[in-house]
Amino acid sequence: MRVEFHLARRYLVGVGRRTHVATVTLISFIGLTLGVLALIVVLALLEGFQSGIRSELVARTAHARIEPREGRRLADPAELASLLQAKLPDAEIVQTVRGTCLVESGGDAVPASLVGRSDVSEAAIDRILAVRLAVASGDDVEVISARLRLTPMGPLPVRARVHLNAVQAPEPGRESGSLIVPLATAQRILWGGDVVEAITLRDPADPWRLGRRVRDLLVKTRPDVRVAGLEELHRPLLLALTLERVMIFAAVGLMLVVAALNLLCNVAMLAAEKRRDLAVLAGLGLAPARLRRLFLVMGTCIGAAAATVGTVIGATLAVGLDRTGALPLPRGVFVVSAVPFSVSPVTVAVVIAFALGLSVLVSWLPARAVARREPAEGLRYE
Amino acid sequence: MSDAATMVRMRGVVKGYGDGATRVEVLRGLDLDVRAGELLAVVGPSGVGKSTLLHVVGLLDRPEAGTLELEGARVTDASVNDRASLRNRLIGFVFQHHHLLDELTALDNVALPLRIAGWSSRRARQRAAELLDRVGLSERRDHFPDQLSGGEQQRVAVARALSMRPRLLLADEPTGNLDTANSRLLFELVRELHLLEGLTSIIVTHNEEMARRCDRVVGLVPGGGRTDHVREV
Repeated sequence: MRVEFHLARRYLVGVGRRTHVATVTLISFIGLTLGVLALIVVLALLEGFQSGIRSELVARTAHARIEPREGRRLADPAELASLLQAKLPDAEIVQTVRGTCLVESGGDAVPASLVGRSDVSEAAIDRILAVRLAVASGDDVEVISARLRLTPMGPLPVRARVHLNAVQAPEPGRESGSLIVPLATAQRILWGGDVVEAITLRDPADPWRLGRRVRDLLVKTRPDVRVAGLEELHRPLLLALTLERVMIFAAVGLMLVVAALNLLCNVAMLAAEKRRDLAVLAGLGLAPARLRRLFLVMGTCIGAAAATVGTVIGATLAVGLDRTGALPLPRGVFVVSAVPFSVSPVTVAVVIAFALGLSVLVSWLPARAVARREPAEGLRYE
Repeated sequence: MSDAATMVRMRGVVKGYGDGATRVEVLRGLDLDVRAGELLAVVGPSGVGKSTLLHVVGLLDRPEAGTLELEGARVTDASVNDRASLRNRLIGFVFQHHHLLDELTALDNVALPLRIAGWSSRRARQRAAELLDRVGLSERRDHFPDQLSGGEQQRVAVARALSMRPRLLLADEPTGNLDTANSRLLFELVRELHLLEGLTSIIVTHNEEMARRCDRVVGLVPGGGRTDHVREV
């Protein structure tokens, strides 16, 4: 193997006045380096934005949700909440109800979600609904439920006046507007009794595995409930993020494929130009498998060098742009103030593996052709 | 039957190029024996198959029919790896064009067969330095082929051919590109090494003077026939 490395180095680096191959090699190297660099930077940019979205999900939504398998009423919610609190002392456990209602203020009524939570003692309105109704903290709104109650004048919708104590950011992914009230208030408006529809849990220390832990806890004791973790709760969004990553990788990866095709031309040209040398090497006893390996070593060396340099430059660039905030974003439109970059080790490993795999593949084709020739063919060619 | 004293035995060897109407049959049922220790000259007009004969004997090419034995062992159907191993261990080649690798120094070119055989770089370069000293090129060891004269290039090629201490030396018009003085010097060098190393050597040449100084001369004639001219040494 050492002689293959020795020869590959001599061929690729170029010695004395033999710089033709070295020049073409340099062009292939630059192409692959740029491909790797572009892929690293673009994926770091995507990862930066996506990790921001995932952080938002973790910070502002439930990490697990327990619902009844049938119907909307959760049986024995207090007992279930106590059990969970005992088994998961670090988790925040909230009993909830949710329904649709009309929220009225100043003669305008708009449909909204009414959310009742056991951890809330004062009502809050989200920013979307507050803008639609032109209300602020300290105002009162009228909530009109779809539930009817019998009165001497016939069935009328249940109404309740709610005093707003806060305006808060909307839940990620919800655009209808929400009114968040204490659980008892919501139960009275939506159900007329102490019904709990779901229990939500949060554990900031281990958000992505909380669903599985809860499921494991309840699998035997509470077959009447269904548990969804973060991934199930936000499956469409997370799937869209994954799909976006794959599509961007495929699109920018094409650049790397084009660079690899250039490498193929380079190695094939080297095989043609060095046909006599290869015949001589075979004549001196280098077996076909080792001739093939010589070309694989050359292609892999170019790919490895390009992957290393491209990764180092790309990662440095991405980290530098992230830390310096050199690409600012308009305030009020994005949550973050500058374009975020996040270099993930897994992404880097995938890009390097992709670049190396392509290099080996494109080197293997001419290597195969070289190894099949009888040495005399190369000498006759001369 | 082969015997131990026969280094090369060819029987009914056929080799041609091309297909159908464009096919040219260069060797047509060639028989040839070369005794161990013999210095054999192969002569004949251009295109008669001298180089093809050398390529077949040197396992650089496969005959289409017939058998080839080296040191009594049939090698006609040997695997590609066995053929490569035999070329490395048993056979040394000197070509008309020196065929040195341009990217390697004289020393590295001579060390190349040893590196292929798995020798360490240090040992291979040590042995290569000894050989370059023997062919009078110790001062030129770090020069690249294009920094050497034609005669020096061929001497490096001879040193490379002998680096693995082969038992069979094949030289394809080794003096074809050299002037008279250098041709004579190179032939004397090959002849001396042939005797000192106890080689069996086959030299393809157009040089009649050189052929006359060999143990035996084989003349190839167009059409694949053969006439032997054996001369007392």
